[in-house]
Amino acid sequence: MTKWGMVIDLEKCTGCQACTTACAMENSRLPGESWQDVLFYHEGTYPNVKLSWLPRPCMQCENPSCVAVCPTKATYKTEDGVVLVDWDKCIGCKYCMIACPYGVRFYMDEKPVVQPDLREVFPGDGDRIWNPPYKMPDHLEDRKKGIGIQPKGVVSKCTFCYHKISKAPKGVADLDEDDPQTREYVPACVRVCPPKARYFGDLDNPNSRVNQLIADKRGVRLKEETGNKPQVYYLAGGGAPVIPGERSRGRG
Amino acid sequence: MATATTLRAAFKPSPYLIGSAVLFVLAFVYAIYLEVTLGHVAFNTTNYGVFWGFPIVAYDYFLLTSTGLALVASLPLAVGIRSWDPVAKRCVWLAIAALVGGVAILFLELPHPLRALWATPINLQTASPLFWKILCVGAYTIVLALLAYAFGAGRGPAEVPRILAVVLGLLALAITLIAGSVYGMLVFRPFWFGSELPVVFLIESFMGGIAFFIFFTYAVHGFVADNLSENTRRLLAGPLGIAAATAVFLHLLFVLTRTVTGLWSYGEGMEVWRYTIAQPLYWLALIGGGLVPLVVFALPSLRAQPWLQMIGAFLVALGLLASRYEFMINGQLVPPFKGSWAPPLLEYAPSQLEWVLLFVGIFLANTIYAALESWSSTRER
Ligand code: SF4
Ligand code: SF4
Ligand code: SF4
Repeated sequence: MTKWGMVIDLEKCTGCQACTTACAMENSRLPGESWQDVLFYHEGTYPNVKLSWLPRPCMQCENPSCVAVCPTKATYKTEDGVVLVDWDKCIGCKYCMIACPYGVRFYMDEKPVVQPDLREVFPGDGDRIWNPPYKMPDHLEDRKKGIGIQPKGVVSKCTFCYHKISKAPKGVADLDEDDPQTREYVPACVRVCPPKARYFGDLDNPNSRVNQLIADKRGVRLKEETGNKPQVYYLAGGGAPVIPGERSRGRG
Repeated sequence: MATATTLRAAFKPSPYLIGSAVLFVLAFVYAIYLEVTLGHVAFNTTNYGVFWGFPIVAYDYFLLTSTGLALVASLPLAVGIRSWDPVAKRCVWLAIAALVGGVAILFLELPHPLRALWATPINLQTASPLFWKILCVGAYTIVLALLAYAFGAGRGPAEVPRILAVVLGLLALAITLIAGSVYGMLVFRPFWFGSELPVVFLIESFMGGIAFFIFFTYAVHGFVADNLSENTRRLLAGPLGIAAATAVFLHLLFVLTRTVTGLWSYGEGMEVWRYTIAQPLYWLALIGGGLVPLVVFALPSLRAQPWLQMIGAFLVALGLLASRYEFMINGQLVPPFKGSWAPPLLEYAPSQLEWVLLFVGIFLANTIYAALESWSSTRER
C-alpha cells in the first residue's frame, strides 16, 4: 500500500518561500495563514547571530494526534497515508489545533493577519469564506477531503495536494517534477522548489527516492517524543538539531 | 387539569427570577448582535496559539461546577443520609442550572453546535476524550432531567430511586475525569500534561460544587442566616464547611506544587510559569480564592459565622474561575512551532463578546435556578 511522504533537504533549502506561495495559490490560502510556511529562527545577538529556517507543511503523521482527538472523525487518515479534514463533519471545536504538536492547522475565521482583510475585498459566496482571484477550478474542490476554498467555521490543513497525488498512476515510487510522467501529480510546493530541496514519494516502497535519501542522508523527523511519527523527513546534514528551542534561543 | 391550573396560579415568579431573566435576555441579545455584526473576529482567539479562549474557560467552569454539585447531591441520595436531604435537592437544581448556562456558552461559541449533536454520536471516535465527554454530558443531562421530574412530581429525596443517584454520581465523576484528560493527555504541552490532572479537576469540581451550594443556600434565604432551618445551619457549619476546607486545601496543594515544579523545570514550554506568577490574577486566585476561604472554612469559630461562610464560598467560586482561566489560557501562550513569526509568549485578553458570553451563562443559570426553586416550592405548597 502506498504511504506518501515528503523529504525536505535543509542543506539545499534557501528559505525563498516559493513553496509557501505555490501552496497559497494552489489551495486558496489567506496571506499569513499558510498551510506551508517557512519558519525563521535567529539565535544570539548582533554581531554573533545565527539565522536558520525550516519549511513546514503538515507532517501527515503516521500516528496523528489530530485524528485521535477529533470527536466527529472529521479529521481522518486515508489508506495512502494522508490526513484530511471532512468539512461537512467538522464542528469547529479546534481540539485538533490544540492537539497538533506542529501548529499546522488553521481556522480561517479569526482576525486578519494582514490588512486589508482580503475576505472583505473578495467576499465569498455560499459558506466559502472568501473568493480569491486565484483559485483552483471548482470541479477539483472536495469538501469531504478539505480541498478548495475553506468554508466558515471549520478547520483546514495541508492536504499533501491530495487533488493531485490521488490521481497519480498506481504503484509509482516517486512523484518527481522532472519526470514528465508524474509532473502533473507533484504537490505544488515540491514542484516549484527552485533548488529542488523537496522530494515526494512512497515511503512504503523500498526503491523510492525518498527512502534512499532518508537512509543515505540520515533523515530525521521533528518532535519524535510526541509519538506522532511524521511522514515528512528532514535532511539536516546529520546530527544537527533541526530547529533551536525557544529557551535555548534565550527567548523563553 | 385543575391541579395544573392551581399550580400555575400559585407559581409567582420571584424578583430574583424576573431580574435574572431580564439580564439574561439583554446579555443574549447583545451577544447575538455582536456575533452577527462582527462574525468570528469578535473573539480574541488566533491561529498563532490561543485556540480556546475565555468562552471555553467559562463553559468548562460551569460544566465542572455542575458535576461537582451532582457529586455532592448523589452521595447522600445514593447512601441515604437523611440529614443531607435539603442539600441533595438544591444541588440538583443548581447542577441543572450550571449545566444549562455552560452549554449555552459553548453553543454560542461553537460555529456548528447542531452538527456536533449528530456528528459526534454517529461517528464513534472512541479515541477522543471529547467524544466520551459529549456522550457522558448527554446522558448526564437526561439523568438530571429525570431527577428533576422525580422531585417535581412531589417525591422527596428519600423517595427518589437510588439507582438514579448512583448513575448521576458515576456520570458526574466520568465527565470530570475526562475533562481533566482532555488537557492532561497532551504530552507536548508540558504546562498541561500530567496524569494527576483528572484528579485535580475532580477536587476542584467538588470544591466549586460545595461553594455554590453554600452561597446559593444563603441567597435563596435572602442572605439572612436566621431564615435557614436548624438542620441546614448545622450542615453548613459542620460537615459541609469541613468538606469545603478540605477541598480548598487540596486545590491549594496542587496549585502550589504545580507552580514550584513548573518553575524548577527547564523544559521547553515551562517558561510560561514565570509569566504566570508575575500576573496579579495568580496571586488574587491563590490568596483571595484559596488561602482566605481556607482559613474561613478550617477554623470552627469562623466557619460558624454565616456572613463569613457566604463570603468564603463566593471567593472560592471566583478564585476557581480565575484558576481555570490561568490554567487554560496560559497553557496556550507558548506558540507551537511558529518560529520568529510569533512572539515567545502570546498575548491574550478576553474580547467584549467573550465577556458577554460569560454573563449570558451566569444570568441564564440564575434564571433556570430561580425558576426551579420557585417551581419546587410551589409544588411543595
Ligand atoms: S502535523 Fe498536526 S495536523 Fe498534520 S497530521 Fe500531524 S498532528 Fe495532524
Ligand atoms: S475542529 Fe473539526 S476537525 Fe478539528 S477536532 Fe473539531 S471537529 Fe475535528
Ligand atoms: S503538499 Fe500541497 S497542500 Fe501541502 S504544503 Fe505542499 S502545496 Fe501545500
